[in-house]
This record gives sequence, structure tokens and C-alpha cells, in this order.
Amino acid sequence: MVSEQAEVDGNGVIPPLVEVTEVSRRFGGVQAVNSVSLSLRHGEVLGIIGPNGAGKTTLVNLISGHEQCDSGSIRLGGATLIGQPIHAIARLGVARTFQNIRLARELSVLDNVVIGHHLHRRSDTMSSLLPTASARRARAGLHETACGLLALVGLDPKAVSNRMAGTLAYGDQRRVEIARALAAKPRVLLLDEPAAGMNRVEKARLRDLLTAIVAGNDLALILIEHDVRLVMEMCDRIAVLNFGCKIAEGTPAEIATHPEVLTAYLGTTAAAKPPPPPAVAQSGRHATAAGDLLEVRDLHVAYGAIRAVRGVSFSVHEGEFVTLIGANGAGKSSILRALSGVIPATGHAHFRGRDRGIDLTRTRSPKIVRAGLVQVPEGREILGKLTVGENLALGGWTRPDKQELAREIDLFLQRFPVLGQRRDVRALQLSGGEQQILTIVRALLARPRLLLLDEPSLGLAPLLADDIFAIIRDVHRDGMSILLVEQNAYRALELADRAWVIETGLVALAGSGTELLGDERVRASYLGLEAVTGDR
Amino acid sequence: MLREPATVGLTPVEFLVKLFTDPAAWYNANQLVIAQMGINALLGLSIWVTLYCGQLTMANIGFMAIGAYTTVIMAIHLHTPFAVNALAGTALAAGVAVVIGLPVLRLRGVYLAIATLAFGEVVRFGVILNLGITGKGQGLNNPAAEPGTAGLLPVLVIVAVLTTVFSRLRSSKVGLACAAIREEEVAAASGGTNVAAFKLGTFVLGAAIAGLAGSLDARLNFFIDPSEFGVQRAILILVVAFVGGILSPTGPVLGAVLLIALPEIVRSAQDYRYVLYGLALMVIAVFRPKGLIARRSGGRRTRRQRALGDPVSDGV
Repeated sequence: MVSEQAEVDGNGVIPPLVEVTEVSRRFGGVQAVNSVSLSLRHGEVLGIIGPNGAGKTTLVNLISGHEQCDSGSIRLGGATLIGQPIHAIARLGVARTFQNIRLARELSVLDNVVIGHHLHRRSDTMSSLLPTASARRARAGLHETACGLLALVGLDPKAVSNRMAGTLAYGDQRRVEIARALAAKPRVLLLDEPAAGMNRVEKARLRDLLTAIVAGNDLALILIEHDVRLVMEMCDRIAVLNFGCKIAEGTPAEIATHPEVLTAYLGTTAAAKPPPPPAVAQSGRHATAAGDLLEVRDLHVAYGAIRAVRGVSFSVHEGEFVTLIGANGAGKSSILRALSGVIPATGHAHFRGRDRGIDLTRTRSPKIVRAGLVQVPEGREILGKLTVGENLALGGWTRPDKQELAREIDLFLQRFPVLGQRRDVRALQLSGGEQQILTIVRALLARPRLLLLDEPSLGLAPLLADDIFAIIRDVHRDGMSILLVEQNAYRALELADRAWVIETGLVALAGSGTELLGDERVRASYLGLEAVTGDR
Repeated sequence: MLREPATVGLTPVEFLVKLFTDPAAWYNANQLVIAQMGINALLGLSIWVTLYCGQLTMANIGFMAIGAYTTVIMAIHLHTPFAVNALAGTALAAGVAVVIGLPVLRLRGVYLAIATLAFGEVVRFGVILNLGITGKGQGLNNPAAEPGTAGLLPVLVIVAVLTTVFSRLRSSKVGLACAAIREEEVAAASGGTNVAAFKLGTFVLGAAIAGLAGSLDARLNFFIDPSEFGVQRAILILVVAFVGGILSPTGPVLGAVLLIALPEIVRSAQDYRYVLYGLALMVIAVFRPKGLIARRSGGRRTRRQRALGDPVSDGV
């Protein structure tokens, strides 16, 4: 569906509308985007997929001007976008939505759409002061346009246009964002996870909506989405990012069978690695004999109308290594956050025994930490402006034995020379892998009984991820009970005594790590492969 | 810095009754109070303009000082008519705002507030106390004072005009762009709004209004001195705007009327007026963070939802 207005060069070949050439962007020690090139033609739908932390949002931010490139070039039509402010790039025809919704929550839905129309709105400063018939007509036309867009994205303009945007349901807020982006009449529309937090029915409606938008408007679409099935159905071409690099590009069918893509999503296979050390199996057997350190029954977590966790039950024995795996958005992190008391939850989560222990769903987080449940959060969350040493000291903040703490810190710094050599360096300047080691050590200094790890391999190159998993394995061998949440399913299953596969807030599969390693259904759960194999 | 009240000897009830039974006499007896309300309403509007565009700037007291001193100095040395002096004071305030706005408006939130608050002190201690023509710390006698209705009427007219204009502009292109920047700056920029230009524009407009307020205030008085333009007054301006509310330009006007009238009506509160202002700000911040005049929301997020934040950005 190439537009008639597409510029055709002398040879009759249609040049691309968007041309991204070898762009790079680094944040501190993390190379978020590494020499990525892409091109996009009129009317085309390009999907960008990749695991968490692959650099997808950063890439879109570079195109829309919300981040500056370290190097490379981005062109739209004939114009360069590098170095231009956001509003100038918008003027050239780039509109977008945001992964974390950015609506003017306290303004009406209608006003939110009109904000997107800013570039095409005639100046009405004078006519607002002296209301004339033409000013009224202009205002009415503006509202009609906005209401038309609301209807297009599947909202009832009469019902929602005067409501405050922040009061809409989550899926509807995403629709308003799309309407606002369309109001700018873009040549390129960037959608950053438009389906996040939507259920299957809503996703199906979103797919129809996006198809209609591409068909009815003269624009090209870049779609970032974790729901691989949706991307496979929607896109003409798909680019796959991993660790900031583009590892594959092709049609949905090509991508679905691309070996590197499978590795990126599922991690390296056990076959490619040396056999797991026997110690793991031993500790597993030892563990079963002991009682439940953590017993979770029927756990629910909701964010407003979105039910992220819908009745999950599992347990961790003393000394055991348990992992929760599943695709992005399955609810894994929500479970950990609920257990740490960071977000409210219903159900039961008994820690250190049903009678003498505490129920984590009814306990505040400081008390949970003192009881011995310590989390290594997703995205590392180091205190970047403090030094490595200060970060570690804060890990033992609740401990009274300061001298013993200081001795332990020294021991850890000897054990991990990458930290020891950088004791007085600001944590921000560490690489991603070093930051991850820092957070694990920081958590250990709080002397946990159970260590929760949320995506420790996030955004780390394979070799670094190997180091992190080796450290986790050693910590477990020393007797620590571990609950690990991981996207890198194979690696997690290699280490785990028992595992639960979480899908859309529910337990989809459970079993020992070894059992699940060979289970085809794990792969299906991650990639939504039914879509490609014909099961629509 | 606030002048002696004119309602000596009246009880609160008498004060209010007289307003309705004999408005002319009430006006004559309370001209100073009404002038204070008008000037503070203008200052409230000057800070409202920047607040409406999402910036907390505290520099307006400095711009007011520029307007006031320019007006009086021109009256002393050039003998030009007030309209010329006021125009010059307003223009000078706006010009200074452009110069300091370019670097300072890159700051946000509390840093912007601190930097702009410092500007007011720079004007007072750095310029006025060192420049011979300003009488240094001694203040200046104003040879062209018009304390009566002649000085008061323009204040009230300008307050009314600005309130009407701003109220109407809220749904215009520039008005909505300002609201969008306040509510969600990144999204406004993505819609094509030149955020930096709007921030500078509202800052300069606010400075011009503050400069004009300074000119008008100086005309009402026989004497101006630097102590009128201190941090305490800067905070009063903020309280006026916040108590009334930042969503409507009638907010700061209402805030000025209430905050100036209250200590006049309740005589016993007179000695504690700054305590009263502080309390008012605290109560408003806790119970009505958008001020007295705020649109009713179609449904409120609970405290818990706010604490939870955004499920997706936090990683479900």
C-alpha cells in the first residue's frame, strides 16, 4: 500500500521514508543501542521486538528526539532528525505513543486529542478574546476532528470526551494516546508497547484498529511490542534487537524460525553448555526434606482494573532454588514486588511458617526485610551517585553489628575484585554486569533467609549473564534459599530445583527444572508460536 | 510592608454591614485595603501565568521592584507622565526576564524556584542597595503619587481585563499548549509544541505583569523602599496564587481578596497575619492542592493508586 505521494527518484526506485543508519546510544556503563540501522517505506509496518532491556524504547526515543544519539544518522524524507528538538521532529511528521502512558491526566480526553493537533491548529488568540461566528465554527470543527479520532480508536466520543483522561480505564488511555498521535497527521507513527496490560480481547481489537489506521492513513508504522504474536500478525517486516544490537530482520515467517531470535528470547540451551554441576541436584534433594520457607497461596495483584496476578500458588523450601519464568508482562515481577511488600496484594504468602512466621501480604516492607526476605530488584536500582562502598554499606542498613558488617563488606570486595577495585567509584560508572553484582552483594549484606532475584540477566550480554548466573549458583551452594524470576528460561531452569511457568497472571506449568527444560510448551508460552504455526 | 488598616474601630460585622448599606462610605474608608487587594491580585496573576504553564518561579517580586523603581526614578528625574513610566517599568521587567529566563528556565521544580527566588534578592541587595539613583537603602520619595481613586482605578480595571483575557484564552491554542506543558511536558513536545518558547513566553509575560504591578503600586505611595520587595512578599504572592487556585485566573484574584480582607475583618488576627498566611497555604496544600477554584474531577484516583504509579512502566 505504497502512497501515491511517495517520492520516486530518477531510477523509479522509491527511497525509504525513514532511514536510520548505525545509531548508537550509551547510558553510563550500558550500551543501550549499538550501531543499529533500519529503513521504513510509506505504508509499511515494521515491528521491533526483543527481550527486556534490548534497547527498543531507546531506539524509538532516538527517532522521536527524546534521546540524543551518540553517533549515527536518522533521516526522514530528506531531512535529518539528529540534533533537532522534539517539537521540530514532530513538525517533520513523527508522532508517537509512550510505553508508560503520558496523557495530561487532569485535562479532558478531548483536550488531550486537541493537544496532538497543535501543529495543524490555526492561531486563535485574538478570536478567543472576541468570540465571532468564524471562531465558533473553527472551534466546532476542531472538536469534530477530535471526536472523529476518538471514534476511530474505538471510544464513544459522547461518553468520554469531557471526562478527565486520568479517569479512563487503562486500555482506553492507550487508545486516547493513539488518537492524540493521529491528530498530528504523522507520516511516521511510533507505537511503544500499545498492547501492554491488555487482555486477549482488547489485543484483538487493537490489532483491528492498527490495521484500519495503516489502511486509512498515509503513514508508516513502527510497532514495539512484547506480544510476539501480535507483531507477527501485524507487521510486514520485523527487526529483532538484543543487547542494543539488531540481530535479525525479516518477514514474520523468517523471524519465527530464526535461531538467534529463539536464543535471544529463551536464552542459551542447556545442550550448548557444560553439564550443570552436581551440587545443584544435591541441594535440591536436601531441600525437599526441610519445611516450607515460603508458601504462597492464591496470590492476587491488581493495578486498578488490570489484574496482573490472578491466583498464583507456589512454595520455596528451606535451601531450595525456585524459579518463576514466563514471557514479559506475565506477572512475574508483580509477584516478587507483592512478596516484598512494595505493592499490595490479596491471598496468602506465609514466610518462615504458617504459625510462627509472617504473612507477607499483610506486612509492611521494612518488617519483611528484617524477617529475612530481601529482593534484588529488576533494573538493578543502584544508588548511582553514591560510591560502590556506600551502596554496600546501605545494604546492611538494618543490621546492628556494624563491625561485622564492615568485615563482611571487605570479604565480598575481595571475592569480587571488580567491586573491590572500584570501591570509591560512583556506582553509576559501573557496567551493567558490575552493577548487577553490586545489587546482589548489597542484598546479601542484609543477611537474607530468602533471596528474591528479579531478572538479574536483564540487558546483559551473554558472557556477563553467565558470570551473574555463576554467582547466583555459588550463593545458593553456600546454603541460600533463592527465588529467581527470569526471562532467560533455559538458564533459570538449569539452576532451579523447581520451577513455575507464569502466563497472563496464572500458573501455566509447574515441575522440576529438568522436566521443564525439555518441555515444548515452555517455548510456546514465550513466543506465542501458535500464531505462526497456523493456530489463529 | 502592608500599610496600616483603615478600618480602625469597626467590628467584623460592622465592616461587612457597611459594605452593603453604604458602599460609597465603605469604599472611602477602605481604599488602602482595596488597593492592596488589587496590587496583590495583579502579582498573583503574574505568578499564575507561569504556574499555569507548569513552572514555579519566584522572581516576580524582583520584577515588581524593577517596575516600581523605574516608575519613581523616571518621575523624579524625567518628569514623564505615569503612562510612560509604567510602560518603561513593564518593558524593563520583561527585558530582564528574557535575559535571565534563557539560562534559568532550563531548571525545573524546586531548583527553578530557588534560582528565581535568589533573583529577587539580587535585585534588592545587589542592585537597589548599590545604585545611587535608587536612594540605596534609604528609599525614594515619589513626587507623582496618586493615592486616591486616580491611582486605584487603573489597578482594578487592569485586574478585571487580565482576568477576563486569561480566562478566555485557556481553551485557545496557546492556552491549551500551556496546560499541556504543565500536565505532561514530554507529550506536549511530541505534539509539536515548542516547550522552551512557551516557558520563556509565560515567564516574560509574568514578569511584565509584575513590573506593571510595581509601577501601579509605586504610584499609590509617596514613598518606596527596598524592604517592600523581600522574600516575605515573594512568598505572599505565591500564597495568593495557590490559595485561589492555579486552574483559573479568578483564583489569584479571589486569593488576594481573601488574604488581604481576612486580617482586616478579623481584627484580632491582625498581629498574626503571616501565621495566618502560612496556615492557609498548608491547609490548601493538604486538602485542596489545586486551590479553592478547581474543576471537579470526573473520578478520583485513590491515594493508593497514586502511590502505586504506573503498572507498565514499573514492569508488571
